[in-house]
This record gives sequence, structure tokens and C-alpha cells, in this order.
Amino acid sequence: MADSNAPKPSSSVKLVLLGEAAVGKSSLVLRFVNNDFQENKEPTIGAAFLTQKCNLPTRTIKFEIWDTAGQERFASLAPMYYRNAQAALVVYDLTKPTSLIKAKHWVAELQRQASPGIVIALVGNKLDLTNDSESGQAESEGADGEESGDARKISTEEAKTYAEEEGLLFFETSAKTGHNVSEVFTAIANAIPETSLKSTRGPGASSAVNRGGDEQRVNLNGPREAAKEGCAC
Amino acid sequence: MESLGDEPWDVVICGTGLQQSLLALALSRSNKRILHVDPNDYYGEHEAAFSLQEADSWAATHAGRSTEEDSSVEKRQPIFKNASVWKHPDAADLGLLSPHAYSLALAPQIIHTRSKILEQLVSSQAYRQVVFLAVGSFFVFDAEATDSSPKLARIPSSREDVFATKAIPVKSKRYLMKFLKFVIDHDSEEQKPVWQGQEQKLLSEFLASEFKLDENLQKYILALTLSLDGLITVADGLATIHRHLTSMGVFGPGFCAVYPKWGGSSEIAQVACRAGAVGGGIYMLDTEANVSNSPDGHEISLELSNGISVRTTKLVTSQQDALPDAQTITRLIAVVNSPLKPLFETVVEGAPTPAVAVVVFPGQITENSPIYAFVHSSETGECLIGQSVIYLTTLACRQSAQRLESALDDLLAAATPEGSPAPVSLYKLQYEQTVSAREPLITTREETRTFAFPSPSLSLTFDDGCLGPVKDAWKLVMGDTALETEYMVFQDREGVGDDDDVYDL
Ligand SMILES: Nc1nc2c(ncn2[C@@H]2O[C@H](COP(=O)(O)OP(=O)(O)OP(=O)(O)O)[C@@H](O)[C@H]2O)c(=O)[nH]1
Ligand SMILES: [Mg+2]
Repeated sequence: MADSNAPKPSSSVKLVLLGEAAVGKSSLVLRFVNNDFQENKEPTIGAAFLTQKCNLPTRTIKFEIWDTAGQERFASLAPMYYRNAQAALVVYDLTKPTSLIKAKHWVAELQRQASPGIVIALVGNKLDLTNDSESGQAESEGADGEESGDARKISTEEAKTYAEEEGLLFFETSAKTGHNVSEVFTAIANAIPETSLKSTRGPGASSAVNRGGDEQRVNLNGPREAAKEGCAC
Repeated sequence: MESLGDEPWDVVICGTGLQQSLLALALSRSNKRILHVDPNDYYGEHEAAFSLQEADSWAATHAGRSTEEDSSVEKRQPIFKNASVWKHPDAADLGLLSPHAYSLALAPQIIHTRSKILEQLVSSQAYRQVVFLAVGSFFVFDAEATDSSPKLARIPSSREDVFATKAIPVKSKRYLMKFLKFVIDHDSEEQKPVWQGQEQKLLSEFLASEFKLDENLQKYILALTLSLDGLITVADGLATIHRHLTSMGVFGPGFCAVYPKWGGSSEIAQVACRAGAVGGGIYMLDTEANVSNSPDGHEISLELSNGISVRTTKLVTSQQDALPDAQTITRLIAVVNSPLKPLFETVVEGAPTPAVAVVVFPGQITENSPIYAFVHSSETGECLIGQSVIYLTTLACRQSAQRLESALDDLLAAATPEGSPAPVSLYKLQYEQTVSAREPLITTREETRTFAFPSPSLSLTFDDGCLGPVKDAWKLVMGDTALETEYMVFQDREGVGDDDDVYDL
């Protein structure tokens, strides 16, 4: 898929997904990584780790994605995942009001505990269950009379206002139809400051935590792997 | 939450120190039911890494002094004590911003490239989530250096380096090369007679008598051993120098050891716990466990502080009590407002920029033990850009705290180019660390087993000796199903590592 062989600068971005159980975190990741959707996805136990490389015009980003479990009994895990994360996707289900409350809790915790400069995206998922015109409603549900009603419980306006107040990226998505999913990741990739991806040598960004590029990283897997990293094909 | 208490667990692990966490990693594909709890609200136990707020509150709970009054009573002593913090009055103005941007490691260790832990992290695929950085130059601080010669002398790291340096007289160079050649195969039949019968002698004396190394070169060699008391024996010393030399170049030119970004062992512990969680382990922080044996001895029950009670037959914990009169070190961690660039130069072509430099303040055999400083650049993610974190260690004694403070001052002055303002410390954390009994504590009662890991070694380099007990604990949990060839050998999980389809955004 890569369009040229010229090596672009490449860096890893650690991204964590947080949100109430069953809002669709794993489904968003599945859509992004495999372009797939499962109608009855089982709850995540503990956490799942996936990677996905992305080509941007000027650089390659490897997302290291931590998909956490939303069930309360796994809540202790979260700090381990958002620690050192450069990006967080806080997901709620826009047909379920409690899930936005939970999302706000996560945002507050991230702002308190996570690395300064973490890019947070607020994502309202399951847009296909609403009447929004551009949401690309799943056709299968059109036949089912009762599904055609609008299940939206959280208005775009409400969530968007909150996101603006807190300085978050904001999207409404459907993991089911794929609507807006890759846009979330693109926006995150673009929102991560270039300086935090490169290893900054000079002074300047003095209040930034040093994320470092990959060039300082010692590769434990020998030169074989390193050569593979080089070409995205 | 109720459901956690119903079924008995295959194993309950208490504490998220490095060893318990590596056990969780080792069990992460076993399909065992694993409950992993920690009384602390942070990961890493004795190997934790702290933000400044966390460091403040940790110091407050570990401020306790050892009272010498009622020495008749057997008192339980903790692993860490006498902790205190100091903050510059103008810290914020000087750049100590966002306290949670810091990651101060309680017990940082560098990892030699030939260490078995790296092998295990690779074979278990856990290494993918750890960013390893190079440990660069070793320096010796020379208090007597005159104006013309620098106070920080870099120890040559290679043969070419030895030839090139002007700091060593030509004649000495020859002796040094002879010694280095000897160390490389000191265990061969040919070389063994050179040191046999002198195994327990002091290395420094041996260097003088057998290799005619002058005092200066003895200092260099001793510095490389990172021996806490400087009294390392010939046998241990040769093994350590051998490790140092043979570790050079294993993963790239110019470095013999690595350091995990974001707080060293603490980061490995967390990566290991995450693997445990991905494997289905249940994690609870801030949860104390009150252990009792059922009267018939067939089960261990744990009353958790969150109100749940759970049962198991296998409990793995860590020892929290210091061994009386055990070796104790004093540590000083300082965040300073300078990148200390001169310490992080690459000296070998193609070498990665080092993130850790080692500075050794040699001791005097009779009185003062050596002081070791690990200087971490902001590349470690432990401080903000433009700053560095300095970890100083020496054997505890009456003046050790004061000695560390003055070594810090000396280091800052020596690492600052002429004419530049001397850097200042913004935040300091000081404490003492000792050890528990060195063997795992295993208790057997009917079908139940309790396994308690020893506390971390005080060694400044990662001690492969701590991996043995992890494997023992793993065997204990796995029982008959333990297949040693499969220990820590895992395939990548689905969705990881196959970067074949790249997203074009
Ligand atoms: N209609 C619709 N259903 C969705 C969407 N995304 C997820 N689902 C469904 O919602 C349920 C939960 O999805 P998951 O992806 O497992 O949710 P999760 O947030 O990962 O849940 P936990 O792992 O328990 O935290 C599944 O049955 C999905 O099929 C969506 O965009 N639209
Ligand atoms: Mg999930």
C-alpha cells in the first residue's frame, strides 16, 4: 500500500481506549485495524493490545493500541495503560446517558494523572442507531420496523460543548458502518505535535515530556527486524 | 464484584514488584485463574517509579527512622526508610512544572545486554512494549584533577579508545590491554592459573600485583564493577569485568547495557502485568489482603480490603521485612535544571545517543565506600526536556547522606562547561534501602503453598539471580503441567506485529 520507498520518519504512538462497558471500544479498534465488525462482540477481559501502522503525508506512525476492559472490576488496570500514553480515545455510547458520565470521569482522571500533552478524543459511538442523515445507517435494520426509531439520548450539541470546554477532539462514529472511524485516528495522528515525535535535541519545548523518536531506541531483535521496519510494504 | 469470591483462584499474587509481575507474564498464556492484587495504589512495589506527588506521599509514609531505644525487642524493619524530600523554593519558576510528568525510579538498575531478562522479554514478546535506551559512558570523578585536566575522566570503552586516549601513559596502556585480553578468557585452562588461589583476594591488589596497573587504572577497573563497597574479590571482579566487556556491541556499537524508558524495572513490571491482564488476569490496586489458612489447611483464604474474600491454594507474595544488620544503601535522587549534555555524547560511530551516563566517585578502601551516580537524560521520559535526573547511591553510614549531597554538587560543577551557570537541583528525594532474606520463603501446609520473593538486590546492575525464583514460583503454580522449554516462550498475539497492511490516512 505504501506509495514510495523513500523512508519517512517513523514513530510509535501509544494510544489507550477508555470508556464504559459495551460502548464499542473493541469494535472501533476492530474496524480500524481489520475493517471488520462483529454483531455480538464479547466483553474484553483485562485488556487487548493491537498495532496498526499509518502513513501520513510526511511520516509513518505506528499506533500501539491498548483496548481496555470497561467492566468495573478491571478499573485498576487503567493507570497502567494511560501512563505514558500520547493519545486516549474516551468512548461513550450515544444511546446511553450513563456512558457519557463515565466518559467525563475518564477525561478528568486523564487530565489529572496522565502525561501532560496527552491528546484526548471524545468519541460518541453507535451513530447508526440514530436518525442522523449522514450516519450511513445499516441497511439490515431498515427492514426491521422497530429499529428505525431514533435511539439517540445524547445530543451532538451537549457532547460537543463539553469537548470544546475541555479541549478534546470530538467525533460521532459508528463502528458498525465504519462512519468516521479512520477520521478519529487521522485527527489524533495530526494532533500529536511533531516535536513530541522527534527526539528534540535543542532547548525550546521545555515543558514537554521527551517522547523521543525511534532513533534512540535500542533494537533487541537484531538488524533483521530493523530492515523490516524500514520499508512499509 | 461478588463473582470474584465464588470460585477458588489457581493463584493469588500479592504485590506488583518485578518478580511478581514477571510471574504474571510467565503465566499469561496458562489459562490459569489469576488474581493479582497490590496494597499500594501504584504498580512496581520496591521497584516503583513515581511522579512527584507520588514521591511526596511515598516519602511521607517511609520517613520512619529506626529507633535505637528498645533494641531488646525484635522490631520489624522495612526495606525502605528515612525518606525525605526537598524542593527548591522557586522550583516552579525554575522549570519544575507538571509534577506528573516525572517518573522517579526507586531502585534503578542498568541491564547488561547479555542479561537473561532481555532474552526472556524477547521470547515472551513483551519487549515490544518496552523502549530500551543505551547506557553510555562511564566516568570517574577525580577530585584532585588540576585545572588543565578534566575532573570527569571518561573510561575508555574499547581497544581503539584505549589507544586514542591521552589520559593514560603509553606504558600503562600496554598493561591495561594485557589485562583486558586476559579478562576476556580468564576462565580458560590457559588463564586460570593466573588467578587461581587468589579468588578471594581484593581485585585492586590483584590488579597491582599481577598486571602492574597503577592506581589510576585500578580506579577505572573498579569503577566498571559498580561494587558497592569497592572491596570486590578477584573472582567476582573478573566475572563482572568479563560481563562488561562481552556485553559491548551486542545490540549495537558503543554500549554494554540498556535502560528501559519511563522508569527502568518499574516499566518492565507494568508491561508484564499488562500481559497478565491481556491473558485474563484480574488486577486490583490499593487492595490489601489479610491472609488466613482454613483450619484443615486445604485452602488459603484472603480477606481483601475491598470487602471481598477469596480462596486459593497458591499464594505468591514478597518479603517486606529487612534482614537484621543487612547491607543498607543511601540513595539520593535529584531533578536538575540542566540537560548535562557533555555526559551524553556518542563516542563510537553509529552508536545510539545514550540516555544514561555513569559517574563513579572512587572511595578510599579504608574509610569511604565509592559513590555511584546514574545520570538520566530527559530521553528516559523521567523528567522534562532540558532537565536530567541524577540517582546517587552509596553504602549507608553516618555521613552517607551528606557525602551524596556533596558528590551531587561536585558532579554538577564538573559537568558544566566553563562559563555556564551551574545547574541547580529542583527536587530531591533521599532514603535508605536494605534487603530481606535473600532466599524465597516457601511455606507448605497440606495442599497449600505460600511463596514469598526476596526483596530486590541492591546491585546497581540488573541481577539475573532474581529470575530463578520467578521460575520456581511458576513451576509451583503450574505443577505437573510445567514444560520448561515453554517457559516465557510465546507467540505474538493476534493483531500484533503483522504490519503488512499499512493504513494510508
Ligand atoms: N449498532 C451498533 N452496535 C455496536 C457498535 N459498536 C459496537 N457495537 C456493539 O456493542 C456491543 C459492545 O461492543 P464492544 O466493542 O465489545 O464494546 P466494548 O466497549 O469493547 O466493551 P468492553 O470490552 O466490555 O468494555 C457489541 O455487541 C457490538 O457489536 C456500533 O457502532 N453500532
Ligand atoms: Mg472491549
